[in-house]
Amino acid sequence: MKRKWLPVVFASLLVLLVAGQGYAADKPIKIGFVYIMSGPAATYGQFAKQGAELAIDEINKAGGINGRKVEGLFEDDTGKSDVGIRLIRKLVYENEVDAVMGIDSSGVASAVAPVMKELKTPLIITHAAVPDVTGTLCNRYTFRIDLNINQNVGMASAVAADLKAKTWSTVGPDYSFGHQSWEYFQKYLAKKKPGVIFLPDSEVAFPPPATTDFSAFITKVMNSKADGVVISLWGGNLIDFVRQASDMGFFDGKRDVLMTLGAATEVLTALKDKMPQGIWVGTRYWFQANDSPVNKAFVDAYKQQFDVFPSYNAHGAYAAVKAYAAAAKKAGSVDKEKIVDALEGLSIDLPIGPTIIRAEDHQAISDGTWGQTAADPGMPIRILKPMRHFAGKDITPSVEETGCKMK
Amino acid sequence: MEGILANVLNGLSWGMLLFLISVGLTTVFGVMGVLNFAHGSLFMLGAYLCMQFVRWLGSFWLGLLLGPPLVAVLAVLIERFLLRPLYGRDLSFQLLLTFGLMLFLDDGVRLVWGAAYHVVNPPEILAGVIPLFSQTYPVYRIFLVILGPLVGVALWAFFTFTRWGKILRAAAMDREMAEIVGVRVPVMFTAVFAFGAWLAALGGALAAPHQSVGPAMGERIIIESFIVVVIGGMGSFPGAFVGALILGLLNSFGTTLLPDVQMALPYILLAFILLTRPRGLFGEEV
Repeated sequence: MKRKWLPVVFASLLVLLVAGQGYAADKPIKIGFVYIMSGPAATYGQFAKQGAELAIDEINKAGGINGRKVEGLFEDDTGKSDVGIRLIRKLVYENEVDAVMGIDSSGVASAVAPVMKELKTPLIITHAAVPDVTGTLCNRYTFRIDLNINQNVGMASAVAADLKAKTWSTVGPDYSFGHQSWEYFQKYLAKKKPGVIFLPDSEVAFPPPATTDFSAFITKVMNSKADGVVISLWGGNLIDFVRQASDMGFFDGKRDVLMTLGAATEVLTALKDKMPQGIWVGTRYWFQANDSPVNKAFVDAYKQQFDVFPSYNAHGAYAAVKAYAAAAKKAGSVDKEKIVDALEGLSIDLPIGPTIIRAEDHQAISDGTWGQTAADPGMPIRILKPMRHFAGKDITPSVEETGCKMK
Repeated sequence: MEGILANVLNGLSWGMLLFLISVGLTTVFGVMGVLNFAHGSLFMLGAYLCMQFVRWLGSFWLGLLLGPPLVAVLAVLIERFLLRPLYGRDLSFQLLLTFGLMLFLDDGVRLVWGAAYHVVNPPEILAGVIPLFSQTYPVYRIFLVILGPLVGVALWAFFTFTRWGKILRAAAMDREMAEIVGVRVPVMFTAVFAFGAWLAALGGALAAPHQSVGPAMGERIIIESFIVVVIGGMGSFPGAFVGALILGLLNSFGTTLLPDVQMALPYILLAFILLTRPRGLFGEEV
């Protein structure tokens, strides 16, 4: 009985040996990705994975990076800091990746950024928006390719300054992202339009992220004096909020409403015509924001492969891989230190538009887009019409303001 | 005044949803002594199946009618083949099993329907809004407020007046005695577990039109359901009803009046109840 298996075992060993040799001769460049792949926010990890895979495919079809193929390794940090740190250590020490990308949660990003100094491996953050990782926590190995809270809320305040509302309130998730969004919104809007009033923290609404019934928060904001509301809820929370708020008459035109992540395609796709029209919404990347060939190629390829429009998280992952490839080309190497040097000040044409990674704090500076939700008979989801575009340099705080001291 | 009425309605509608989920949890615990961590996943499965039937058949009512029984069928299989071998063993085996089931079902749902958020529309007749002073209020929520007590009364009548209900209560009180007088306890356990699952799935199907359907949506609600069950008294029916109402109203009024500690309120209440009445409001003293 046992002997029957011998040829099979030998044959597979042989295959392994041969394959292993080929593998060694042409060792791929390994990129580790860390996203939320399970739980309520799993859809973000899924989009990011699609974006990353699209970029890797494109690079490999064009001959790889400096002649070497690229391979992506995906891990699920479940949105928890300790898991994120453990996975990144594993990717660096065990899988020997050349770079790490991803991270959805601001909490995970803040915890991971300082660890990169010890791991001496470049990290490109593609989603988390907490200002600190390119601010007070900045370091040589940590970069961010997507727009952060500062930049997005900067645009929100510019939009708000032109609206009628005089008294502002907020509905945001009850963790750092929601609170920081509100804090920066107040700071920027007070500068742009002196005299506006902001409701104190006891009168605004910070529902916990696990909330599924927002009615109490909606009632609270509707009964307050606010005639302007900035909403920083995202994902499933935002979907639930919009549906419940619509039914309760929240969007009756009596108040100006801004949603800092309302133009996320996963939200618009779920809501379809349940998304009210005429609401000012922002996002990190809007697929119709520009007609550049790079953007068109990205949107077309993504739509063809996955049958949905690219979300901002798909763009973040795609952009990070492309930026890495550009840095490797510029450096002529994938040596970690040389990649870091090349990423600093890197200028690259991304779907979102021409982007520069600022050398001083490692924050990407790209143009941003806000717009008003509108129906379009040719589109399955709400689109932005009219749009307002903001130049990257206008919405990005100076390096001094970020508090970043690179050592 | 306007705020108070809106808050009462908000609290009641959320409370009624909580009630439907907690009552299944408390029944399964009361009769079988099984603490089912996967209850929230059955809730989630109910929402997904309802959504699927709405897509196929275009009717929310058919989804509500057809989805939950399918979950009950799954529960029969779970009870018969997974749970039954564990009855004689240490309680931790049951906890591990139901916790494992929860992870398994959460991921299973993601494999079948993907990780995206889905939206289910309420049926035409309940889709509208009614004016409430200067704002409007969704009819669907009022439907929930009315449905909750109806289900509660139906269950109470079932347990009090029907033969099956009496047998169930008898078995819950003394399993061995019930077996001696000829009750086929294993069959009954299967039925009770399926019934609890049906209630959870019904809650999920009813929740679908007012919250997004997504993976792990059950994990959020199961924690609050456990609080309801503990506050009301494990295995107690009126307890689940009152506990759910208290938690619902605490949620809506807490948000307005005590925003800083709103998140902690259910837990503070839980701790208080455990200290003063460890068996819950309606739990029987031993």
